Amino acid sequence: MADLETLRQAIIDGDAKTAGAVAREAVAAEMDALTVIQQYMVPAMDEVGRRYECEEFFVPELLLSARAMKAALEPIRPLLAASGAKPAGKVVIGTVKGDLHDIGKNLVASLLEGGGFEVIDLGADVSPQKFIDAVQSTGANIVALSALLTVTMPSIKMTIEALKAAGVRDKVKVMVGGAPLTQQFADQVGADAYSENATAAVTAARRLVAAG
Amino acid sequence: MTGKERILAMVAGEPVDHLPLMPITMMFAADTIGVPYRRYVTDHRVLAEAQMAVAETYGFDYVSVISDPAREASDLGATIEWFENQPPAIVESTALLAEKDRLRGLRLPVVETSPRMRDRVEGVALLAAQAGASRMVEGWVEGPCAMAADLRGLNTLMLDFFDDEAFVFDLFEYAVAMEIAFAHEQVRAGATLIGIGDAAASLIGPRLYMKFVLPYEKRLIAAIREMGVLVRLHICGNTRKILSGMGQTGAEIIDLDFLASLAEGRAAMGDGQVLLGNIDPVRALRDGTPESVTAAFATCHREAGRRYIVGAGCEVTRGTPVENVKAMAQFACSRN
Repeated sequence: MADLETLRQAIIDGDAKTAGAVAREAVAAEMDALTVIQQYMVPAMDEVGRRYECEEFFVPELLLSARAMKAALEPIRPLLAASGAKPAGKVVIGTVKGDLHDIGKNLVASLLEGGGFEVIDLGADVSPQKFIDAVQSTGANIVALSALLTVTMPSIKMTIEALKAAGVRDKVKVMVGGAPLTQQFADQVGADAYSENATAAVTAARRLVAAG
Repeated sequence: MTGKERILAMVAGEPVDHLPLMPITMMFAADTIGVPYRRYVTDHRVLAEAQMAVAETYGFDYVSVISDPAREASDLGATIEWFENQPPAIVESTALLAEKDRLRGLRLPVVETSPRMRDRVEGVALLAAQAGASRMVEGWVEGPCAMAADLRGLNTLMLDFFDDEAFVFDLFEYAVAMEIAFAHEQVRAGATLIGIGDAAASLIGPRLYMKFVLPYEKRLIAAIREMGVLVRLHICGNTRKILSGMGQTGAEIIDLDFLASLAEGRAAMGDGQVLLGNIDPVRALRDGTPESVTAAFATCHREAGRRYIVGAGCEVTRGTPVENVKAMAQFACSRN
C-alpha cells in the first residue's frame, strides 16, 4: 500500500524520486486519483507556498518541490483524465512578447499546478496570437501574463487588446504579475487580477474561478 | 569637491560637502540622447555620450559602463536575442552550458578578441578620458551567481544547487576567474570603481548564499580591491535574508534594491558600511512626484545614516520624469 504521507513529505522535501515512486504505488494499488491529489499533493504544495511566502523556502526549494510534484503527477494524470475529474481551473500562462525572463512565471505555474489547476505553459517571449490560439484550443478559463521588465509591460496591454480583438477576452479571466507591475497598471490595462507574488497568484486564480 | 573626491571621501569615512549621487542609468541614459538602446549596448561611443549627458545634466558623481548581463555570455557563444530598444537577453532554452560537460572545454575569453567585452573596456577608456579627472568611472562585471545563471540557465542553476554541488563550485570558479580578468582590463583602461551585479543571488536564500555564493563574491571582490579600485556590489531583488552575508563581502559600497530597507541593511552590516539606494525605481521614482521622491530619500538617509550614497533601488527606469530625477539630485546636494 502506498504511503501517502511519504508522498506529501517527498513533495515538500523536493524528493522527486520518492514522490514518483509512491505515486506509482498508489496507481498500482488503484487508489482514487482525485483523493491522492487533493488530500496529499495539493496540501503539500500549499505548504511549500506557505514556506516560500514566509521566507523559509526560496526559489531553488520551490522549483525542487515543483519537480517532485510533476514526478508524482505523471503516473496519476492518466487516471485523473479517465475518471472525468475536473481541474480547479485551466490556466494559459506565459511571459509576454519581448521578455525572456521566465523564472517568476515558472514559480506561478508550478504553484498553480500544485494547487490543482491544469496549466498550459507557453514559455517566454510569447506573442499575443499564441495566447489567443492557446485559449481557443484548450478552452482555458484563465490567462496569466507575466513581465519582468518595465519595457515589456506594454506587451501585456497589447496581449489583452489582442484577446479582445479576437473575441476571446470575455471567455477568460486575465491575471497579470511581474516585478515592475502594480495594481494601478493592472487596472489600467483591464486585467481581472494582479498578484504581487507566486502564492498570491494561486489565491487570485482560485478567487477568479469561484467568481465565475 | 568633485564627484570623485566626494565618493572617495564617503568611502574613507571623511567629511563630504554633500551626499554622493550614484543612480544606475541605462535605458534612461540612452533615451536622454535619443538613441535606441541597441546602439547603447553595441557602441561604446554612444554609451559614453549618454553617460556624460546624464552625469552633466543631473550632476551624477560617476559614469558607468553597466549595460546588460549578456556581454560575457555573448562572447563565449551563448545565444542572445537582440531587441531594437531594450537590453539583449540570453536565451535560456539553448543555454551555453545546457550540457554540464561543456564547462570542461570552455576556455576563458580573451578580452582583446571578444567584441562585446572589448567594447565595454573601450567604453571605460573613453569615459576615463572624458570624465576621469572629476568623476568616478565605473566598470562592470557579473557576479559569480549571475554569471553562472547566464551560462547554465537560471532555472537549471537553481536545481543544480541540490543536484550537483561539485558542478556549481566548478562553474563559480570559472565565473570568478573570468570576471577577475575582465575587471582587470577595465581597471587598466581607467576604471576607478568596479560594479558587480549578482542578481540571481537574491533568489537562493541565506543557506545557499553563504555556502556557494559568498566565498566567490569575497574572492572576486578581494581581487578587484587588490587592483587599487573601489567595489560596488548590487544584487537586484529581495536581499533581506542575505544582508549580513553581503556585509561580509568586502565591497566598499553595498547597493541595495528597494525590497530590503536601508534600516535592515544598516542593522545587518554595521555603521561602517557605505550603503547606496534604494527607493523603488518604479512606484516611488518613476510614478512619484518631486515632493514624494524627496520624502522617500529623506527616509533612506535617516535609515542609512551618515555613510550613505543616493541612488534608486535599481536602474532608473525609462520614462522616469526629469523632475523626479532632478529631485533625487537636489536631495543629494542638500544633505551631507
